[in-house]
Amino acid sequence: MALPTASSDERKPPSPLITWVRKFLQAAGRPLFAVILAMVLGMIVIMMTSPGSIFDRFNNALFAYSTLFTGAFGNGQNLSFTLVNVTPLILTGLSVAIAFRAGLFNIGAAGQLAVGGMTAGIIGFTFTSWPGWLLIPSMLIGSILAGAIWGGIVGILKAWRGAHEVVTTIMLNWIAFYVTDYLIDGPYQTKHGADQTDALPAQATLPHIASFYNSTLGTFLPKIVNATQYLVDVGFFFALAALIVYWFIVSRTTFGYEIRVIGQNLKAAKYAGIPIKRNMFLVMAIAGGFSGLAGALQLMGQAPYQLIATAFSIQTTGFDAIGVALLGRMTAVGVLLGALLFGGLREGGTIMQLNANIPGDLVYIIQALVLFSIAAEFLPVLQRTITRFSSRSRKPMLIPATIGGTMEVTNLPTYANTDEDSGAAHNGAEPLNTANTVDSEPDAASSD
Amino acid sequence: MFLQVLFRVLPSSDLWQASLQFAALLLLPALGGVISERSGVVNIAMEGMMLTGAYAGVIIALFTHSLLIGVLGAMICGGLMALVHAIISINFHADQIVSGIAINIAALGLTNFLLFVQTGGQGIPSLSDALRLPILSFGPLTNIPFLGAVLFHQNVVFYLAILILLGIHFLLFRTNIGLRIRAVGEHPHAADTAGVNVHLVRYSCVVSSGLLSGLAGAYLSMGIAGIFNSNMTAGIGFIALAAMIFGKWSPWGTAGACLVFGLGEALSTRLQDSGFSPNLLATLPYLLTLIALVGLVGRTTPPAADGVPYEPGTE
Repeated sequence: MALPTASSDERKPPSPLITWVRKFLQAAGRPLFAVILAMVLGMIVIMMTSPGSIFDRFNNALFAYSTLFTGAFGNGQNLSFTLVNVTPLILTGLSVAIAFRAGLFNIGAAGQLAVGGMTAGIIGFTFTSWPGWLLIPSMLIGSILAGAIWGGIVGILKAWRGAHEVVTTIMLNWIAFYVTDYLIDGPYQTKHGADQTDALPAQATLPHIASFYNSTLGTFLPKIVNATQYLVDVGFFFALAALIVYWFIVSRTTFGYEIRVIGQNLKAAKYAGIPIKRNMFLVMAIAGGFSGLAGALQLMGQAPYQLIATAFSIQTTGFDAIGVALLGRMTAVGVLLGALLFGGLREGGTIMQLNANIPGDLVYIIQALVLFSIAAEFLPVLQRTITRFSSRSRKPMLIPATIGGTMEVTNLPTYANTDEDSGAAHNGAEPLNTANTVDSEPDAASSD
Repeated sequence: MFLQVLFRVLPSSDLWQASLQFAALLLLPALGGVISERSGVVNIAMEGMMLTGAYAGVIIALFTHSLLIGVLGAMICGGLMALVHAIISINFHADQIVSGIAINIAALGLTNFLLFVQTGGQGIPSLSDALRLPILSFGPLTNIPFLGAVLFHQNVVFYLAILILLGIHFLLFRTNIGLRIRAVGEHPHAADTAGVNVHLVRYSCVVSSGLLSGLAGAYLSMGIAGIFNSNMTAGIGFIALAAMIFGKWSPWGTAGACLVFGLGEALSTRLQDSGFSPNLLATLPYLLTLIALVGLVGRTTPPAADGVPYEPGTE
């Protein structure tokens, strides 16, 4: 409510850099709060489960966190491990984020990733005689298309049949997991009989960044020593490119504008004549494409370059992606930072378990706490309670509705009533149920 | 070949016993989901609540050497997870899907974390027979051919699940409380105007869903498996979610869906020698639910206010 005073109008406008920093801090406030809260609560969990006096416990927790941090970002090798985790998190995070922009909740990143990885695998195992310059692009494009189809199904079901995307994506996830398990255990199983496929042919794998640099630029620039210990592969660059593609789609194209309008106000979008159904399908297909690419890069970038049964259903990338997208507030920079945080937590957790003897699964607890605190409107609810409390004493509230209604994340979709025609269903249910409640309640009470 | 094996397997009592056993395991969390969503709180966290219950039941039973305390502990711990979901999504207006996902991740992390702290990664011992949920026998009834083995030789939780099914159907559609629950889920403002405490109803429904899921977790770890393994629910909570939707948010419909899915699960392991992949058959629950959602077998519509946080005085 700070009204601009005359003097502030006369002041020189701040430089673009300062405005950008200020905007960034404003946007990052809530995610930062969420992360700090989660870390503090995670610390309490460590302190509760470790032995010794309260001082020992505190030291223990600090030690655990310091190994967590150095394990994630401490040296070049650990950082390269972290970036290996970050690649699929960026892509699936973008997948969730672009759907969020259109008001859709894509829980299906895990399934789209599985389908993409499987498709890349099938192409790689089938056309083993193709040269790398042909095989690698076909695998990448194949995975994007497969993911796009898997996501597009969700969009079609949502737009034309009103099936809620949360439920359909959960169902499609498990269908994807079981079908890939079937393919891995059946037609594409290795001769050795284990629950896995053969390894990809060598020309279908992506080189590691360090050795790639040494063999190209490194021929005339200084070489990286011990290149083999830096495991991150060139797939990371694809993820970075995807960030730019995402930024371009969302903020520089008509389509991006249209999906943002759909996400923020479906009615306005309808009245503006934006083709809602087509855009819902497209946005889910693009979301699926991002995740599908993640599956291919996982397979092609890292040893053992093979698909293993049940691996897709066990990995949590698709769900971590939701945290990444929410932490990043659906912006490209934010998704990158969120993916770095979650990828670092994952890698640091392993090191923490080795060096501090604190179970690495603590990382999942921290991730869950981040999700809780970013989803729960702790700050607005507190504010609202205080406002109501203080204004009650002064005068009777005439406009509680407007104060109570300050929900910040209105662009998050809700479970019911999001399909565009359900207004009618809601109205249909309304008189029926009010009648039920008011009329039949005395009857029910008297029959007791 | 496939049909031959199918026809050989179908009349065996063993198949139907396993179907009913799995159906009961699905029914408990699915009914929890029905109550929670009927009151207007989306619950995709049955998986996490089950896992918590499965873990807590085994640990508490081993610690106290008491089966009953173990089962109660499993239910209470499932209920506590649900309480977190309730606080976060009812009081703090969190997106209920995000909160549900967070519960699932938290349950996985917490059970693995505590398991490691307690045993140093060794895993916990399996339960002795005295601490396992017993299989009930009904004397002479057990000797009836086919039916005896299928219906009268089941785990105690199976019979409990049937009682709970009847109880929840009665509660939802024959009592004042049930009317309130449904009113809150369809139109909380109208219910509030009529004097129903919306938050209280939603709290009790979400916590009940946690109690039921916790019981199902205990059934899994203390009844069927006799041991707790990391991430042992492995998607059962999501099949229960599918069953709830396939059953159109009604107790009987959900029970029917659980039967179909239970049969599918039991068949999938028994059709292996026909060359039919159990993995492909395992997609059946999800495919059926998708088909139901698309509206090929009648429209499935969730309760009108499902997932919408309620704030008094807004509309």
